[in-house]
Parts: sequence; C-alpha cells; structure tokens
Amino acid sequence: MNSVKRVAGRRIAGNAATYLVLAAGAVVTVGPYLLSLLTSMKTPRQFGSQTSPLAFPSPFTLSNYSGLFSGEYGFVTPLVVTVQMVAVILVGQLLCSVLAAYAFARLRFPGRDALFWVYLSTLMVPQIVTLVPLYTMMAQAGLRNTFWGLVLPTVFGSPYAIFLLREYFRGIPGELIDAARVDGAGTPRVLWHVVVPMSRPILATLTIITIVTHWNNFLWPLIITTGPTWQVLTVATANLQGQYNGNWTLVTAATTVAMAPLVLLFLLFQRHVVRSISLTGMKS
Amino acid sequence: MISLRVRRRETAVAYTLLTPSLVGIGLFLVLPVFVVLWLSLRQWDLVSPSTFVGLRNYRDILSDPAVGNSFAVTALFTAMVIPVQTVLGLGVALLLNRRLPGSAFFRALYIVPWICAPLALGVVWKWMFDPTDGVLNAIIGHRITWLSSENLALPSVAAVSVWSQVGYVSLFFLAGLSAVPGHLYEAARIDGASAVRTFWHITLPLLRPTTFFILVTGIISSFQVFDTVYAMTSGGPAGHTDVIASHIYQEAFVDFRLGRAAALAVALLVVLVMVTVAQQLWFRRRITYELG
Repeated sequence: MNSVKRVAGRRIAGNAATYLVLAAGAVVTVGPYLLSLLTSMKTPRQFGSQTSPLAFPSPFTLSNYSGLFSGEYGFVTPLVVTVQMVAVILVGQLLCSVLAAYAFARLRFPGRDALFWVYLSTLMVPQIVTLVPLYTMMAQAGLRNTFWGLVLPTVFGSPYAIFLLREYFRGIPGELIDAARVDGAGTPRVLWHVVVPMSRPILATLTIITIVTHWNNFLWPLIITTGPTWQVLTVATANLQGQYNGNWTLVTAATTVAMAPLVLLFLLFQRHVVRSISLTGMKS
Repeated sequence: MISLRVRRRETAVAYTLLTPSLVGIGLFLVLPVFVVLWLSLRQWDLVSPSTFVGLRNYRDILSDPAVGNSFAVTALFTAMVIPVQTVLGLGVALLLNRRLPGSAFFRALYIVPWICAPLALGVVWKWMFDPTDGVLNAIIGHRITWLSSENLALPSVAAVSVWSQVGYVSLFFLAGLSAVPGHLYEAARIDGASAVRTFWHITLPLLRPTTFFILVTGIISSFQVFDTVYAMTSGGPAGHTDVIASHIYQEAFVDFRLGRAAALAVALLVVLVMVTVAQQLWFRRRITYELG
C-alpha cells in the first residue's frame, strides 16, 4: 500500500516537474514575441521614459503601425511585393515540379536515371555558394532590381519538391492512370484529374514549405534588389532597423508585420505544419 | 514497330514535361557551380572587364587573416550551437514524449520561432539584447553590452540560433522516439533496468539515425548562417561574428571583389562536402560496429 502510494507520489512529482520545465520553455519561446508586440503598441514617448521595458503600454497606440503603412516608411510596397513574389514562386514551383515529378515517376525515357541523379545532386549545393555567380548572371541579363530577378531562380521548380512528389506519385496505383488513359485522357488530363487530386497531402506540405521559405527569404532579395521599388518585407525590416536604430517601437511594429502572417498561417494549419516538418525535414 | 513508336512518344512527352525544370535547374543550380569556379579564377569589380588571374584568388584567401578568422568564427559558432541545440532538442522531445495532456500545445508553441524569418527574429533579439532599452538587462539588472562586446557577441548570436531551432530539432527526436518498439522498454523494465540505464542502452542507440540526420543538417546549415548575424551584429565587433557567409557577402557586394568571393564560396563548398563525407564515414562505422 505504502509503496503504491510512493510510486503514485513520484509520478505526480514527475509530471509536475515536466509541466514546470515545459512551461518555462514556453515562456522563453513566446516571451520575445509578446514583449515586442507590447513595445510596438507603445508611444515612443512612453518607451523613452519607462522605468522598465517590461511595462505595459499605457496608453495603447497603433500609431507605429499606421506610421509604417501611411507612406512615411513605405511598408505597403514591401508587403505587396512579398505577397506577389511568394504567390508567383508558389504557383510556378508547384506546377513545374509536378510536371517533372510525373515524368520521373511514371514515364520511361532514355536518360531518366542519370537526369534524376543530377537533379538530386544539386540539393547538396548550398545557396551561399551559388549566390555570387547567380548574381553576376542576373546582372549580365539586365535583371537586377526587377521582379523577375526576384523570382526567376526558384520559379521553375525545386529539386527537393520534385524528389518528394516523385516518391508520392510512385505510390499512386497504375490501374487508375491506365483506366483514365483507356477513356482517352491525355497526359494533361491524367495529371489534372487523377494525379493531382490524389496528391493533395503532399501538395499541401509543399505549399507550406514554399510559402515559409520564400516569405522569410532575405539574402537573395537583399542583393538582387536596390531601393524601394522591389523591396521585400525582410529587406525593408532590416533597412528600417538600420535607419531608425533605437526607435524600437517602430522597429518592433515592423518585425511584427513581417512575422504575423506566417504565425497566423501556422496557428490555422498547426497540425499540418508539424506533420510537414517531420515528413520532409524542410529546408535541409 | 508500334512499341517503338509508343516509346518515342513517351520520351517526347517526358521531355516536354521536364522542360521547365530543366531550364530552371540547369540555369540556376547547375550552371552557377561552373560559373563560380570560372569566376574564382578571375578578378572582377562588376564594372571594368574581368581578367584571368589563375589561382591568385585562392592564394590570397589562404593567406588572408580575415578569411582564416571567418572560418574560425563559423567553426566556433557551429561548436556552440550544435551540441546545445541537439541536447536541448532531445530533452524537450523526451518531455513531450511522456504524452501528458497539453503536449501537442507545447510542441506547436516551440516551433513557432522556426517558421519566422531569421532576419526578423534577429532584429527582435537585437532589441532584447540592447544595453539600455533591452529586456535582458532590465531583467538581470546589469548593464551588459552583449552584442558589442568581443567575448559575448558570438555566444549571444549562437544563443538566438539555438532558441529558434530547439523546437524544430525536438520534432525529429520525437518522431525517432515514437519509432522505438515498446517491447524493448517492457523488457528493460522486467530486467529491473533503471530509467537512466534504459535511456543510455536502449533509447540513445536507437535514436542514432535521427541524431545523425540532426547533426549533419544542423552543421551544414550553421556553416551558412547569415540572416541572424546580419540583423544582430553585421559581423562585428571587429570581426568577432564575421561568419563565412557574411564575409562572402562583404567581399562580393560591399568591396566588389567578386573573384575572391567566388574563391571563398568554392572553399566553403569543399569544406561542407568534406564535413558530410567525414560524418558519413564516422557514423557508418559506428553503426556497423554496433550491429556486429
């Protein structure tokens, strides 16, 4: 009896300790977000005179946000450019990757295995290595500081997406595709009416990966664009921080704007994102 | 005859489907590897015509102390980040794997930093670390110049990197833990093995593939760190956080020495390939040894 009690007692203590550590981790994880959100709702005046940066905003103000978007700091353009860039890359990458993956998974043609090997081996080349040559190539083509300069390198499909889609397409029963063919469907119809509907989960995963990767991308937009015309959110945030160093109420409003859309997206599709990461190892 | 025609048709269809990705991958992933090799043998400032200089860029970067420094800083950064994030990630995974009510909530919460732009997080942390207006000094009640002190800058940046990746790392360990067959734990329990022994002799060996994946991908990505450093320190103070990616950026787009930047990129590629091969060999030997 006594030992049962002791075991139960030990389990309760263990659970309590687990929750304590998990909660501490949660505070450390979320703290910076909440604190920067709070700071973004303070007036510069309160921020300057406050006794502690942990203090609550009083009065609450959205003036930092309206300032960002009112044109003075020009955050409307970066937001629009970022959305455009992500949308174009997302559609282009999914489309081109699906086409290529179908060819690799379902068709027999000379050179298939060698070509697939070349696609895969490009995964080993890090972005920082191709950065300088890619920039010089774009500059030669006159695409510096253009929308095409932003999207061209990634819009034609990614080897990683092709790899994942190929694995998935190979699992689609061949009878389904043959049946569609017997009914007279050509390759485009087979793709659109059989393959794509059956691949929704992997397409959703790739959608998440692509949005996260390109919304957050910084280095390529930083070097290929100059000035405000084609500035994306990450570059605009970095520039704002550099220009108004110390104006933290404004800067934290900018970081909140840069991060909020993805955090909201994540809250909506939390389960799917978690599964996507474990499934793919994302960027790696 | 028919089958030959069918096969030709299939080939034509396949290459039609492959055209966009062949253009994209050929032009933007394969060609740059050759261009970077070519560029590394030339001297170019983006304005005047480039000239062939042979291996001079490589000789220059080998003897440049700033280059040596950037490799050392990157190695140090990696040495700070990888062990800590791996151990913390495993710890978090073990706690989450107890599957107490609410575990899914914590699991989701912990990966929020990972989906946010490293640049934006770097800016947020630059504020958190600010000596006068920052949160950290307000909490500890001392005025510490985290990011402008030569000794603290790199550990501070490394800490932010760890902070943003622990949840992500723990997801993989969690997946690895759920793949450990339950009957092994059962057997250990019947044999009276303590929790610590069970962990060392069952859990850890069985997590080896996961650990390998975490280490390889972690090291490769930490050798390329850029955004966080750019936002927090821009490589300073006095080069103490000047990681390789920052240095390449500086050479190419601030000092306009594209040949040298290309040579550095090639050197980084060589190092990364060597790291990957070494890890492969080491782990393969360990794993076969375990089995045999």
